[in-house]
Amino acid sequence: MGFIRLFVLGFIGLSVLYFVISIYSRSIRREKLEKAWDANPPDGGDQAARDAYIEQGMAEYEKGFRKKLILLVYIIPPVFVAVILFLTNTD
Amino acid sequence: MRKIKIGFRVVVFLLVGGLLHYVLPQHDIVRVTSTEVIRMDFTPFNRLFYAQADSGNAEHTTRDVRLINTERKKTFLFGFIPRDATGVMVYRNEDTGWIWPPYFKFDSSNLQAEAAAEISNTGDEKWAVITHYGWRNKLVSIYPNAVGIRSIPGPDVRIIPWFNIFFFIFLLVAYIFIRSLWRQFKERSVDPLLADAGEVWAKVDDHTDAASAKARGFGARIKAWLDTWRKKPNP
Repeated sequence: MGFIRLFVLGFIGLSVLYFVISIYSRSIRREKLEKAWDANPPDGGDQAARDAYIEQGMAEYEKGFRKKLILLVYIIPPVFVAVILFLTNTD
Repeated sequence: MRKIKIGFRVVVFLLVGGLLHYVLPQHDIVRVTSTEVIRMDFTPFNRLFYAQADSGNAEHTTRDVRLINTERKKTFLFGFIPRDATGVMVYRNEDTGWIWPPYFKFDSSNLQAEAAAEISNTGDEKWAVITHYGWRNKLVSIYPNAVGIRSIPGPDVRIIPWFNIFFFIFLLVAYIFIRSLWRQFKERSVDPLLADAGEVWAKVDDHTDAASAKARGFGARIKAWLDTWRKKPNP
């Protein structure tokens, strides 16, 4: 019973963490793309070209490996729990 | 106002510090003198400071609690400075189970057996390190909960609290992360909104300035005010 409670509460908590981190990461990525464009805008690059550049960069991020790293949020804490459980109960 | 702020911070600091002092593991150098089981009839005062019945058992208002009686080396400053004095300390030995505090301890019976194996008499002392969390309070009969025991050759050992070191590093990293999260949110979401609001406000300000510049005398002033409500020709 206790295990089910931990599992459910932990899953909810880690999901909140996952969403917060993915929003943060997306925001950082977008800001980087904006700064990269503004620091060195290509000739004839207007607002539409800037938007296209940023959207393309974001689409690449959505498919990329870095975004998948956020899934570690679901892996690392349970590993910690397993390690603590083992260390506490081993004689 | 400033004093209230400081007082509020002190209270928060004490509460968080107290919680961490209760929950984080600490190490005592002890000589186990005996182990025993007593029946506890909890009250609302002290129930909070006990875990639940052994994992897999039903919860009742009354139950037996395992205790480990020891003679303990006294220390200063949360165990960092050893003293040349001993006192007695009694530990309870309960399963913490799956939830709180997150020690995931299920081996109370085994731990009791290990503690019993460490029992020694004066003149032939065997020393051990007990890892525990919690407080001892005689007034409401609460005991720290032992989570581990290991034997050591003598009472003069240096214990490095690795878990607590990493825990506080983790806490610092979490704080920095949350702060940068908040800053990013503020920079990208809150500040643009505020800037927009600021522009609107500046427009309103210009508008009233222009109106009052036109105003000469009371009637003209009223007319100027009424003009500000009139539909403007499109520029």
